[in-house]
Amino acid sequence: MRKVLILHPSDNIAVCLIDLVAGDVIEQDGFRISVLNNIPRGHKIASRDIAKSEGIIKYGERMGHAVTSIKLGEHVHVHNILGDRLSTEAS
Amino acid sequence: MTSQLFAYKRETGQWGLRNHVLILPLHSALASSARAIADASNGAVAISHDWSGEVDNDLPRILFTLTGYAANPNNYAVVFLSIGTPNEKQIIAGAQSLGLTRFTTLSLPEIGSMEKLQEKAISVANEYMKGAVAEKRIAAPWSAIVLGLECGGSDALSGITANPALGVASDRLVELGATSVLGETTEILGAEHLLAARAIDPEVGKKIVAMVARYEASINYEGIDIRGAQPSRGNIEGGLSTLEEKSLGAAKKAGNAPFTGVLEFGEKPVVPGLYFMDTPGHDIEQLAGFGAGHINVVVFTSGRGTPTGSAIMPTIKVSTNTPMFESIPDLIDLDAGTIADGVETLAQVGDRIFDEILEVANGKETKAELGGHHEFALSRMYNTVV
Repeated sequence: MRKVLILHPSDNIAVCLIDLVAGDVIEQDGFRISVLNNIPRGHKIASRDIAKSEGIIKYGERMGHAVTSIKLGEHVHVHNILGDRLSTEAS
Repeated sequence: MTSQLFAYKRETGQWGLRNHVLILPLHSALASSARAIADASNGAVAISHDWSGEVDNDLPRILFTLTGYAANPNNYAVVFLSIGTPNEKQIIAGAQSLGLTRFTTLSLPEIGSMEKLQEKAISVANEYMKGAVAEKRIAAPWSAIVLGLECGGSDALSGITANPALGVASDRLVELGATSVLGETTEILGAEHLLAARAIDPEVGKKIVAMVARYEASINYEGIDIRGAQPSRGNIEGGLSTLEEKSLGAAKKAGNAPFTGVLEFGEKPVVPGLYFMDTPGHDIEQLAGFGAGHINVVVFTSGRGTPTGSAIMPTIKVSTNTPMFESIPDLIDLDAGTIADGVETLAQVGDRIFDEILEVANGKETKAELGGHHEFALSRMYNTVV
């Protein structure tokens, strides 16, 4: 069974189908990801290195941007990304 | 199973999937009585609300909601409980003009006692119930189905399992000539360009984008950072990080069919097709808007689970993940979590949802109906001024 799901070829995140533990290695569908943090089921893991300010792509669509650089295998969530819309963050 | 739909034909040409006798209080002071009357009757239902006749900027929205709700084709008859204000008369007259034919208005000042009002209401409701039970369903076309698409308590699987599976069912129904309505303006923000691209003409596309822009402007006007509420704390625990992410997943409920039009809150669709309705993300307020817009069956997807139901619209609950389905089996009708586990495909779950909609349309009771979950809330835009 798959541990993660990449929903679209242009996505830079994958959705975890099980709880992942730091140190796990995901090998499926021809890719390999070393898991860097504990990541709960349903949460996102970086499927590529993502630069600060780069768009976060899910379902092939932009869902926000990185506020810091994110490494392949890192948990991608509210601590390192933000939405683009209705943003009150200081630019 | 049969693929024939059977429903109750109304004089307007609309179809009811239920034959409810609704006890509708026209003032919040009559809300508890409405519930008591329904409980003491032979099967009538009631809603309660908190409008006390206040005349302010929200008055048109409140009157529109209650008027449309009273005239929903799932209602066989309505018993209005009144304290006799002109605005109450406007609701009753409006419901009549929308096609409500069987109704009785009981006025507290005229009857003079709450006890007598309740006795009278129970006897009127029971009389209507006899007629409602005696009426037979007849063969109905697919256009009889007016489906509402709702999600609440989204998690990261919503956009992968339950929502796209509901999209499969919605697409099949629209293809057959039914109507399907996506709501929750909050939850298409960030995905509106994708919906607009599916509009039947550029005008409809512009209206979808304009509705979201209007909402966004109202949020900005109030100086709210909506990201404090959307995604909600529960959504964030479930793995959703941004409003756009939630919206991209939420929009999948509407499948891939073209959008025929947009509807204001509580407005009813006139020709079959897929619509977007401007509603709040608040689940119960949205359901009230759906009821006012003459939607007659709802599918509600949830990642975190909810008891939500409606007094008049059967509401089918679909879980996005199997652990939630297994934790509250008395609240959830179908599980779409099987898609994430690789047990079923999207198409298979979509077909199961389609079959369930047809069975429920034909009279099968949902978990929310069996549990007596009859939620209702008025949607307001402004502060209440009295």
